[in-house]
Amino acid sequence: MNFLYKYQTTINVLIAIAAAFIIGTIVIIFLGYSPAVAYTEMIKGAFSGKFNFGGTLERFVPLLLSGLAFIIAAKVSFFNIGVEGQLYFGGITAAFLGVYITGLPAVLHIPIVLMGAAIAGGVWALIPGYLNAKFNVNEVCLTIMLNYVAIQFTSYIVNHPFKNPNVGIPQTPNLQDSAMLPKIIFPSRANIGLFIALAVLIFFIWLFSKTTVGYKIKSVGNNPFFSQYIGIKSKIIVVMTVIMSGMVGGLIGGIQITGIHGYFIDQFSPGYGFDGIMIGFLSRNNLKALPFVAFFIAVLRSGSIGMERFTGIPKEVIGIIEALIILFAAAKVIIDIKKSSVTAQNSSDEEVMEVG
Amino acid sequence: MSTPITLAAMGLIVTELSGVTNIGVEGIMLTTAFISVAVSYFTGSWVAGLTAAIIAGIILALIIALLHLKFQANIFVAGIAINLFAIAFTRFLLVNIFETSGSFYSPEIVPIPELEIPIIANIPLLNKLFSGYLLTDYLSIILVFVFFILIYKTTWGLRIRFVGNRPEAVEAAGINVTVKKYQTLVVSGIMGGIAGAHLSLGYTTQFIENMTNGRGFIAVAAMFFGGITPIKTWFASLFFGFTEALGNNLQSSLGLPSQFMLMIPYLATVIAITIGTIRYRRKKDSDSEDIFK
Repeated sequence: MNFLYKYQTTINVLIAIAAAFIIGTIVIIFLGYSPAVAYTEMIKGAFSGKFNFGGTLERFVPLLLSGLAFIIAAKVSFFNIGVEGQLYFGGITAAFLGVYITGLPAVLHIPIVLMGAAIAGGVWALIPGYLNAKFNVNEVCLTIMLNYVAIQFTSYIVNHPFKNPNVGIPQTPNLQDSAMLPKIIFPSRANIGLFIALAVLIFFIWLFSKTTVGYKIKSVGNNPFFSQYIGIKSKIIVVMTVIMSGMVGGLIGGIQITGIHGYFIDQFSPGYGFDGIMIGFLSRNNLKALPFVAFFIAVLRSGSIGMERFTGIPKEVIGIIEALIILFAAAKVIIDIKKSSVTAQNSSDEEVMEVG
Repeated sequence: MSTPITLAAMGLIVTELSGVTNIGVEGIMLTTAFISVAVSYFTGSWVAGLTAAIIAGIILALIIALLHLKFQANIFVAGIAINLFAIAFTRFLLVNIFETSGSFYSPEIVPIPELEIPIIANIPLLNKLFSGYLLTDYLSIILVFVFFILIYKTTWGLRIRFVGNRPEAVEAAGINVTVKKYQTLVVSGIMGGIAGAHLSLGYTTQFIENMTNGRGFIAVAAMFFGGITPIKTWFASLFFGFTEALGNNLQSSLGLPSQFMLMIPYLATVIAITIGTIRYRRKKDSDSEDIFK
């Protein structure tokens, strides 16, 4: 029984996923399809062939980074729902730097573009971060509102000053070739953004586990008052962490623009920012679990297209399964597994998500 | 324009007073908007649509309540979960029931009726200003005053205010705090349901994917801006509705780019919620006796 207790959090998440899939299977049967065929086609759609597997990887990158951005902010108990807006600013900045800076080799151009995107995202996150740290304004509302502002603002930019005159739809001129991320698995759109994303993830895992800064951040997240008492400037740490979260958000926009699209197009994001929230939940704010969760969701999505093509099951069924996973996973403690020893504590708070 | 915000905000006030910030109202509004369109389409009755919306709102609110109160999920997490669920669920139903995506419209959807107030309808100027609005528009104004009475003049309201302010005292008096929170969430579910029905069965009878578009969160902002009281929140909602209408109208008339106009409600919300929170925190810190007025 102690084994079950130790992995309680993971087990809860797996239960949530399993429950969602059970219901999804029921829905598939109800719609008149065979679940076995459905799931087989889904796996094939996600893995078989370069195009499919590349598609999975392509979806993996923004999911990973978005979840990362959310978890970073969650370390200081800040719900960064604003990743969507941060990535829009990142994207438009990447486009700007990618189009107008010429004559640089890719080795220089790409880092400049991506850094610019990250900084833009960080700046946009500074607003809610500061308002929340200083005045305790509800960050959920703030970040959501700023998302809409960001989407509208970048929409204006791409429709007027920065519009590509040769194309009918609102998009920027194409980026210079030197700014584009090289693709990896042809003919899919997977690109070296994958490695960049993984590197960023590893950086943050290192930051939180091995550095003083990371320790301070976790300390503030656990108890800002105590941290203040022992000399850590909690408010500054919070703002700084939120900015870092925003930078990762901005990076998403940068990678999508330079790796997938090649220009910034109006409202290009299908909700990457919000996906990150779901992935952050499911990973229970654990950076080591994050890549697996992100990959899992990428598989689901990539597979759902193949599933629809070969079985006719609408891919919205996967959307429902995802939504159910979120609902079930939102329950902090589905089964309260207790320690079998006499000194039993009531809940394993170290493992459970440390959010407000 | 501001009616959905007003309606949702009234429910939010009640939950906030009991210590629960129900940001899931956005998801409730979206789902109930869909359900009211679907039911109205299949039954040909707006009453059925509105009723179904209210029932759905209650069910969703109970899910949030369950997640937060029984399973100890963080209330924001539960709210966001419901919001994400609503988007996925309504998209799924849109595709599977109506076999369309993006939006659904049909002349067979029966809208909430407009009301002509008998005497005013005949006065040329006044009738445009005060008459001819939807039933739910008038209902929302009435409900503002209903909530005022409910919160400040009834025993239930008093208890709710205590639950948020001094839950220990409430428990000592023998009243179950959790039950009260369930009740406030149900109220917010009802209001969310009416708001959703108004959105989709009101001036335009259709369901568009994600048609709430942040209104639930604007309602939260309105609540904070209005200091978590009905009358001031109502004014805040009117203000937000005004900025939204302003955005829509200025788009076409002045040569200003439309996007800036559309930004106005959201920017206004950011400013409003900041000011509102600062004022509310100051008030809460300075006098805990405000509930005794």
